[in-house]
Amino acid sequence: MSDRFRGKVAVVTGAASGLGAAAAERLAAEHATVFAADLDGEGALRVVDAIADAGGDAEFAVVDVANEGEVAAMFEAVVEQHGRLDVLVCSAAVETRASVLDTTDDAWRRVLDVNLKGPFLCMKHGIGPMVSTGGGSVILLGSILGAIGSPGYAAYCASKGALVNLAKQAAIEHAPDAVRVNVVSPSACETGLFLHMVSQAPDPEAIKTMVAERTPMGRLGTEADVIEAIMFLASDDSTYISGTTIPLDGGLAARRM
Amino acid sequence: MPAPAYARPVPAPQLEGRVALITGGASGQGRAAAALFAEHGARIVVADLNDDGAGETIAMVDAAGSEGIAVHADISTRADCDAMVRATIAHFGQLDILYNNAAVQMSGRLVDTTEEQWDLTIATNLDAVFWACRAALPHLIATGNASIISTASVLGLIGSEGYAAYGAAKAGLVALTRQIATEYGPAVRANVIAPGSIDTPRFRKVAETMPPEFLTGLQGTIPLHRLGTAEDVAGIALFLASDLSAYTTGAVIPADGGLAALR
Repeated sequence: MSDRFRGKVAVVTGAASGLGAAAAERLAAEHATVFAADLDGEGALRVVDAIADAGGDAEFAVVDVANEGEVAAMFEAVVEQHGRLDVLVCSAAVETRASVLDTTDDAWRRVLDVNLKGPFLCMKHGIGPMVSTGGGSVILLGSILGAIGSPGYAAYCASKGALVNLAKQAAIEHAPDAVRVNVVSPSACETGLFLHMVSQAPDPEAIKTMVAERTPMGRLGTEADVIEAIMFLASDDSTYISGTTIPLDGGLAARRM
Repeated sequence: MPAPAYARPVPAPQLEGRVALITGGASGQGRAAAALFAEHGARIVVADLNDDGAGETIAMVDAAGSEGIAVHADISTRADCDAMVRATIAHFGQLDILYNNAAVQMSGRLVDTTEEQWDLTIATNLDAVFWACRAALPHLIATGNASIISTASVLGLIGSEGYAAYGAAKAGLVALTRQIATEYGPAVRANVIAPGSIDTPRFRKVAETMPPEFLTGLQGTIPLHRLGTAEDVAGIALFLASDLSAYTTGAVIPADGGLAALR
């Protein structure tokens, strides 16, 4: 593994599972000190243990990203212990499968809180520390559903569409501070929320096959596809890239205006 | 440069027999749309916090030969969004056009945005559209040919310093509209208008806080060399509300004097 993150400090939200866990493990493997944050403390601890077993350096934090007090406390702890923050990966997300008519107030609130307000609060409290040590990189986990509509994902579409613009705003506001903000936008992946959603369907394999066939590359995305993009954006290999969304969709975006 | 006085070449009434619910209809773009929709035969419900302004708009609707009612509504609350739809059905028995026009524009850099500012901006500009659509959809679906129009902003399409919560909310509204378009066609079409700099009382208030070069400079960068008017936007709203746009759904139409072409 490369040395490009040695001496750097990274916070990953949603780190107990899926893409967040993979991002935390990979950053640690490349010698970053990682804060693995999740509402699921046991899951985050498992990831931290795995990182330690592999010789990496990680700590876990139990955080509800929609709670400003908890978010602020986490970043204060990071700065207090390490004096810096270089990489923030906002991977925490929830989804609810419901049309507009079937979306309850609670479901709408929770999706908007975790998927949109969470990244807002994490940037609000995480960007300051980055600025004070010369810059950093924020990577937000978006979704193809931020760019297209899909039946049954009212709240999720709204949250991910909003996230893309929030990234643009933050990127412009902090470009002079050398803080970059970008979005990776997966379509259906063999990991994380998509797999979770598919697993609840009557015939998961049929859905995966159908989605793969609609994708120009003829396959679903993989965890590695997404992680490589996150690592690229987190690293100094992408220092002139900010405010953008990288689709990880096997070519689907080429079919859009 | 003043807006040219158009002769609007739309001869036939386009909204005969239809009922339109317009949020934020007490002034500006909402009022202009209410007046134009009424000229085209629509009956109008104006939902607004400003009862006096809403009353004036209804007088314009009456003067256009149609009829309308004003409903007091704070759309940042779910209860009022539900209530304005109920009031519409109670009075007119149908709802064909939902125009989510009301908004709160709050500026502030991301790191300076308080949780309260964030919550209010999201509630008024995004949650409200969700609540209004959810309440209206059963009635819109029942008509078989309904239209939802929502006002976003160029700030929901591009990044701009100082509009963290507002830009995010408007972008969320665009994504929500695409979602509704995919789910509720063919009975319901849903589209977005993305205004740029429109010369409304609210815009004037912001402009007054800026140095005088601001307006001149701004107009110089707009390909059409002027601010937009509420009537400019109302023309697009009429198009989207009516069968003139029968094959258009999930679209975002800029009302920005060509600014989008620069980007």
